[in-house]
Amino acid sequence: MSDTVLVVGAGPTGLSAAAGVASIGKKVVLVEKEDVLGGAPILSGYAKLVPSGEWAKDAIGRMIKRVEDNANVTIHKSTRVVKVDGEAGNFTATLSNGQTVNAGSIILGTGFTHFDSINKPEWGFGTYEDVLTTTQMEQMVGAGKITCPSNGRVPERVAILLCVGSRDRQIGREWCSKICCTVSTNLAMEIKELSPSTEVFIYYMDIRTFGLYEDKFYWKSQEEFKTKFVKARIAEVTRSPDGRLLVKGEDTLVKRPIVIPMDIVVHAIGMDPNEDNPEISKVFGIGLEKHGFVDRGEQYTSSFSSTRRGIYVGGSALGPEDIDTSISHGLAMAMRAVGDMNALVQKAA
Amino acid sequence: MAIHEKTLIDPSKVLTSDHLVVDGVDVSGHWNTMILPRTLREYDDKFEDHIKQYSGAENVHRCWQCGSCTNSCTMYAQNTDFNPRYWIYLVRLGLADEILKDKDIIWQCVSCNKCTNICPKDVRPEGVMKALAHWIESEGHGEKSRSTVFDEEFARQCLARGRIEDSEVMTNFFKDTQQDIKEMALNGWLGIFVARMNKWTELRKGNIFRFLTRTPIMHSLHMGWSMFFKPKTKSWGRTGEVLSQYVKEQKELAHG
Ligand SMILES: Cc1cc2nc3c(=O)[nH]c(=O)nc-3n(C[C@H](O)[C@H](O)[C@H](O)COP(=O)(O)OP(=O)(O)OC[C@H]3O[C@@H](n4cnc5c(N)ncnc54)[C@H](O)[C@@H]3O)c2cc1C
Ligand code: SF4
Ligand code: SF4
Ligand code: SF4
Repeated sequence: MSDTVLVVGAGPTGLSAAAGVASIGKKVVLVEKEDVLGGAPILSGYAKLVPSGEWAKDAIGRMIKRVEDNANVTIHKSTRVVKVDGEAGNFTATLSNGQTVNAGSIILGTGFTHFDSINKPEWGFGTYEDVLTTTQMEQMVGAGKITCPSNGRVPERVAILLCVGSRDRQIGREWCSKICCTVSTNLAMEIKELSPSTEVFIYYMDIRTFGLYEDKFYWKSQEEFKTKFVKARIAEVTRSPDGRLLVKGEDTLVKRPIVIPMDIVVHAIGMDPNEDNPEISKVFGIGLEKHGFVDRGEQYTSSFSSTRRGIYVGGSALGPEDIDTSISHGLAMAMRAVGDMNALVQKAA
Repeated sequence: MAIHEKTLIDPSKVLTSDHLVVDGVDVSGHWNTMILPRTLREYDDKFEDHIKQYSGAENVHRCWQCGSCTNSCTMYAQNTDFNPRYWIYLVRLGLADEILKDKDIIWQCVSCNKCTNICPKDVRPEGVMKALAHWIESEGHGEKSRSTVFDEEFARQCLARGRIEDSEVMTNFFKDTQQDIKEMALNGWLGIFVARMNKWTELRKGNIFRFLTRTPIMHSLHMGWSMFFKPKTKSWGRTGEVLSQYVKEQKELAHG
């Protein structure tokens, strides 16, 4: 019987799970496929996080340091799990670096993949330089200056298009990515802060700034930062002869077609299932749900179980999720993993 | 050519000409009707701030278009074109031309404040309606309303003499709003009103004493006198001038 827990993925979910398991005095082996820890917020260079307003590199940086400094945690970067044998209480995982890990339970924090805007060519990403994604815009905010990539001018207007790669049967994505409304209203404020002369327009179908994000982000960006919300799903982004972008659509509240000049168009990209999920499903022997995220086992008395005993899954591997929730999933999985190992030890005794 | 679904088209977008030549070809007659596209091509980013300078519209940017105001509106119940929610949206995006299409009904807001009491974002739509009516009027987008004509005459007399003369206010108001006083006195409501006030019926019944004691003869004489000699409030002096200057400054401060 092993008292080591294997944690796969070092994003907010995996980092929280690893810290949780280690804090109870158990050993952790943390496997991350990239050469840096931190997951999406670090890999994609997010600016200030919602809801804390802290820079991602500071906030997630602390989570990374806490794990790196813990003697109970062994970290393998640029590494994947290629094979899992055995059963709950006694798994043997083979890593891509040739090592094997004997683990009592396995925690998956393998996260999500950003939607690739190239798959919605009508919205101009990849065709026009001034069409960006939220992650690119966050990087621009991080760099401290808002300008059009095409020629460096300060944009008079920025349009943020919500639900890019979410809620769209055309491209087989029937889910809401949950966080992009809040992220976009926050981004609108960050843009306005850095570039007060820029007007920001958010084109929406619904605004889903859930819970306390309602007034902290949606209301604040509208009331204090004068973001304008236009109820339209943009049909097409093109370019006018003067080089500005044109957003075409129907303004559903005035029931009129619109063709409005913009300087930058930002895609509020959604959260896709991790592109590795088919492989993860095979290696770990677990099921995926209909959208391609990792499937859950029984939810109420066996929280965070996957479809295979002894393997737990949480955070954005289960579906679109924010960081706060991912962190609590991580801690809950630590509890599950250690608790179940203890139960097996007691049974054996 | 005939347009079959004319109700779907804004009349101002339909162009018809008797003689039309396109690229040297005379297309008069059958092909003489054109429909302009109804696409919106620009927002006026400054317009919202402009309207916000009119008192009442300070919170217009808070609106999230829930429609509670329109749903509760007294006037909307009478006329579904009266839609505060819609006008607020147009203000936000700076679509002034669209607002002006409704300039003949916007002033009809009765200030019942049902909208303001129900609005979940504290936009105070009633104030926005007031601001819009002021904007339409003060920037010459519509005719002056009768109440404005009345107010102006009232204020003019106050500033000039520190007081008003009822009869002068009324005669000038009727004159400025092209209402025929003589006609109204002989055949309209004014005649009836004066007759009632003067207890004409008593006279007709032969009660001369009652007629004389109940008729405000002195008051009428006094009004007639004041019509011609226009008394001023005591020691009014330059007060009017100073007040006018102040009002002008305040207006400039408010509207830039
Ligand atoms: C544009 C955008 C902005 C956002 N901003 C915020 C915000 O401000 N606040 C907020 O709360 N949330 C935000 N989110 C959501 C946030 O990114 C997620 O909640 C969070 O990243 C989820 O953490 P995770 O650990 O579950 O997944 P991830 O962050 O995706 O981490 C998964 C980790 O697992 C690794 N991995 C994946 N597959 C394997 C494998 N096969 N083997 C080994 N390792 C693997 C990955 O490399 C990665 O390091 C935003 C999302 C988007 C799209
Ligand atoms: S959170 Fe908002 S932007 Fe994101 S998918 Fe849901 S509704 Fe669309
Ligand atoms: S009730 Fe308030 S928030 Fe709702 S549409 Fe009217 S003004 Fe806007
Ligand atoms: S105040 Fe005016 S806009 Fe508001 S409910 Fe009354 S009539 Fe309608």
